[in-house]
Amino acid sequence: MDLFGQYVVNGLMLGTVYALVAVGFTLFFGVLDVIKFSHGDVLMVGAFTGFTAASGAAALGFSHPLAQLAATVVFALAGTAALGAAIARWLILPLKSAPRLNILLATLMLGTALRESVRLFYPDGSNPKAFPALLPTSSWQWGQFTLRADSSILVVTGVLVIVGLHLLINRTRLGLAIRAVAQDEETARTMGINYTLIVLVTFALGSSIAAVAGVMNGLYYNEINFGMGLLLGLIGFSAAIIGGLGNLYGAILGGFLFAALQMIGAVAMPFASAYKDVFAFAVVIALMAWKPTGLIPERASDRV
Amino acid sequence: MLNRFPPLAVAAAAVLAGMVFAIVFMEQESDVAVISLIAAAALAAWLAGRAGVAEAVSRAALASPGALSALVAAAGLGVVAAFAEDHFPLLMLATVMLYATVALGLNVQFGYAGVVNFAGAAFFGIGAYTSAKLVGSGVPAILSLPLGGLFAALVGLALVVPVVRTRGHYAAVVTIAFAVLFKTFLEVNDAFGGPQGLPVAAMNVLGWDFGDAPTLFGADASFYLNYALAAFALLALAFTLVRRLERSWLGLALDAVRLDETGAACYGIGIRRNKIFAFVLGNAIIGVAGALYGCMQGYVAPTSFTFSDGLILVAIVLLGGMGSPWGMILAAAIVVVLPEKLQAIQEYRFLLFSAVVIAILLFRPSGLLPRRVRRYFPEGGR
Amino acid sequence: MTSILRFGVGALVAAALAASPLAAASAKDTVKIAFIGPLSGGTASIGVGGRNSAELAVRLRNADPKAKYAYELFSQDDECKPNVGVQVATKAAADRKVVGGITHYCSAVAMSTVDVYHKFNLPVIVWGAVLPDITYANDYKEIHRVNGTMVNQNEVAADFMTRAGYKTWVILHDTTDYGKGHNAYFSKFVTEKGGKVLATFGVTADQQDFTAELTKAKELKPDVIYFGGLTPLGIRIRQQMDKLGINAQFEGVSGIVSDAFIEGLDPKLAEGVLAFREGAPVEKLPGGQYFLSEYEKAKFDQGPDAYGAFSFAATNLLIDAIEAVGPDRKKVTAYLDDIKNRDSIVGPITFDDHGQNTVALITKYVIQDGKWVLWEDSEYAAGKRKLAGAK
Repeated sequence: MDLFGQYVVNGLMLGTVYALVAVGFTLFFGVLDVIKFSHGDVLMVGAFTGFTAASGAAALGFSHPLAQLAATVVFALAGTAALGAAIARWLILPLKSAPRLNILLATLMLGTALRESVRLFYPDGSNPKAFPALLPTSSWQWGQFTLRADSSILVVTGVLVIVGLHLLINRTRLGLAIRAVAQDEETARTMGINYTLIVLVTFALGSSIAAVAGVMNGLYYNEINFGMGLLLGLIGFSAAIIGGLGNLYGAILGGFLFAALQMIGAVAMPFASAYKDVFAFAVVIALMAWKPTGLIPERASDRV
Repeated sequence: MLNRFPPLAVAAAAVLAGMVFAIVFMEQESDVAVISLIAAAALAAWLAGRAGVAEAVSRAALASPGALSALVAAAGLGVVAAFAEDHFPLLMLATVMLYATVALGLNVQFGYAGVVNFAGAAFFGIGAYTSAKLVGSGVPAILSLPLGGLFAALVGLALVVPVVRTRGHYAAVVTIAFAVLFKTFLEVNDAFGGPQGLPVAAMNVLGWDFGDAPTLFGADASFYLNYALAAFALLALAFTLVRRLERSWLGLALDAVRLDETGAACYGIGIRRNKIFAFVLGNAIIGVAGALYGCMQGYVAPTSFTFSDGLILVAIVLLGGMGSPWGMILAAAIVVVLPEKLQAIQEYRFLLFSAVVIAILLFRPSGLLPRRVRRYFPEGGR
Repeated sequence: MTSILRFGVGALVAAALAASPLAAASAKDTVKIAFIGPLSGGTASIGVGGRNSAELAVRLRNADPKAKYAYELFSQDDECKPNVGVQVATKAAADRKVVGGITHYCSAVAMSTVDVYHKFNLPVIVWGAVLPDITYANDYKEIHRVNGTMVNQNEVAADFMTRAGYKTWVILHDTTDYGKGHNAYFSKFVTEKGGKVLATFGVTADQQDFTAELTKAKELKPDVIYFGGLTPLGIRIRQQMDKLGINAQFEGVSGIVSDAFIEGLDPKLAEGVLAFREGAPVEKLPGGQYFLSEYEKAKFDQGPDAYGAFSFAATNLLIDAIEAVGPDRKKVTAYLDDIKNRDSIVGPITFDDHGQNTVALITKYVIQDGKWVLWEDSEYAAGKRKLAGAK
């Protein structure tokens, strides 16, 4: 039973990160009907920006972990928000009327470009970086079950971010505008909504949520590397898709479902734990055959 | 200006110039020489375009397609023959031809039927692993190539249901998930050598040992000559097949499916049947190329067949121009040879490719050699 | 016909560009030596250290007026990936100007490239990979190795650990031949010495999350977590052990003896980690001080790391061979096969009939205050500090 609790905590941690990534895909798809595949690599850039800020703060003499943490979060969020808006402005909006495949490819390639740029131009970028442990590391023991303060803080933060996003979308004027653009661009424009601005804000918002996931990942594993975004992006995309694109709850469901699949694959299946990703992705493919538009389908199933 | 000459003569001259350029280019070792040659080629291509060479070539292609193809094939063999003794250039040439073959397979999927496939590298890998397991294990080597294609097609069949049921982004996730799954599976599975990979024995087709250096006119050629010739034959075969397909009723149906599913269905064209046909045929072509690639490399490992490698393959298709077989060959040559020749950019090749593809998508979405509008009647016959 | 054409046009282009540095050719013939190792990725600090050391050997020889040839290091990055290794090995071996190679730190890569070197008759000296099969699985005359194999290090490790009073182990290893080899030899020796292996987990070489494996391991309450693999995974596993509150002793293999391992970890977590490496420590060898001071003088941007001395010795040996018999692959191979009791900075080198140097000595390391310290010199051995769970 203790062990079961441990697996649940591990799974919650992973699921929170996946859900945060998946939410970004859903937001972008909502407003523009596009997939921004560089999302995972934006996450990686966020983690590196945060890492640089933390090291910078330490070098400037801010030795308190909380000061470093604040610098990490502020710079990571601001950096990725700007990056996300820039990608929307100069890559995705110009391609808006192009075939969907072209946008998918352009953003996939942008992801490669971001990844390679960090590898080549960040000092010693090809090697993993030790992300500082900035959260309290005290832990509680109940028999075999260990709960660490830092892991709990991360899970709670992740959940709060998701709840905050939900409130933002459903309870504020900005959220109303985003939903309006998502439903019908033309009508939104005639209602006096600044379309371009809303698109840019949405991309900035989604990207900074990815940065949260990136920093969380760094704080949890205490390691970041230039390739970390690739798999996280793929998992986030799969999660958003199996949940059903354009639906916030679908993304969250997909994120936790994927983490659960990995845990089941690692623990409860008769094959070796290394097969967990094979298992999880195989289930994703099977789900697509069963529900071709995701578990929670878009309300208007044919939007063309 | 060039109108005075018969189109075929102009085309022949252009092909010859291309061949000489390819040979000279492969000879160069210094970055300065390579960059100067690229600049010269770009200038020459631009001037030739101004002088109407492209038009002459395309008229020659329409008037006598067989003659032009034969010319290009002869030129290709000429390049291979020029390097008969050098290991590395031959390996590069053979790699170009195999990548071009793969791109032709993907072209059937992306370019004709509009079926997305981001797992090209995985199907390539299935072919390569087929030869790793079969060659040298008693199965006649001559069978390992078709078997590579067969297995790739069969594994692809497992994906057929989600591939034809889903559309757009939902379809992309199926092949993307498969690409990741395939690599992870190879890494954890002991029977396929795990993360370390497997050595592949040299092919031996009816007593012709591919690992042995053939002797040509008294000189010892490189053993890669065998593979270069086999790759050439494979590319020629795939090219003919894809061209025939494009010009047939089948190709017409595929185009209809890609351009307008609803419209095609109204005219009684089976959407699913055509998509499945293109997906399976494309994977089979890719698998055969992979089987030969495995033998040639002498080694297969999961990290050769990752999602990122699949993206490079898609980049070739896009760079060449979707649906354009000649474009596939040109793009494969650029993507494979350029980073090998330009040592200075080797480190930066993935960055450069991604930047180039983004630029193409933004400014020239139809690729380097765009597919021409389908002509139903030869010129003059209207 | 084509070759005439090719030659003619090639000459024309060369003349036209006039960029060829041929005119500057020196009096001595230039001979190329390949160096292949991981220059990027998680084991890059070892690879770059090795490359620098090989470069140092080449520079020192080129400065020697008595040398018959001018040497040039053709350095390639295998990224610690077998397929990339095969590619760059083919590239080096297919280049007729390359006479010999100093090749590979990662065993999985070395294992996959031996066929290539054999096919092209390129003599190579392995400078860091420890899997026995690299030299012993085939009868390839071209393959030699200056460092020892993992067999001895695991025997010493098992002996040392059981003597220290540890009883139970959980083994994690990467699933390349390298990790599997460590697992096989260590389990064999530790069982013989009365230890008990409670569970074994194979993990892939780029795995990020080990919580599932480690949670299972935690349930078994082992005294020691043994890890058979390389630095990047070692760092992650050590970190996640702490996250899950596992207090067992962490025992690594030669693959984690690297400066990068310590840099990648919180000092608190690195402290007390044990590992074993074949060969005597450089600073205690007769030629070691000379090597370290020359390395210092050359002002490379990082240290030689754990295997630099082996790379230096291997490069010197290869150059000696070329000086003796000329730049001919087959002659160099024959010369190397006959090396007996040759002095080097890593001690005397003797190649057996498989080209394997017989190194009996194993060095035990423990991390103390952010440094790999010889066990005998450490405060742990002196009893001032205690390993985790030591009896």
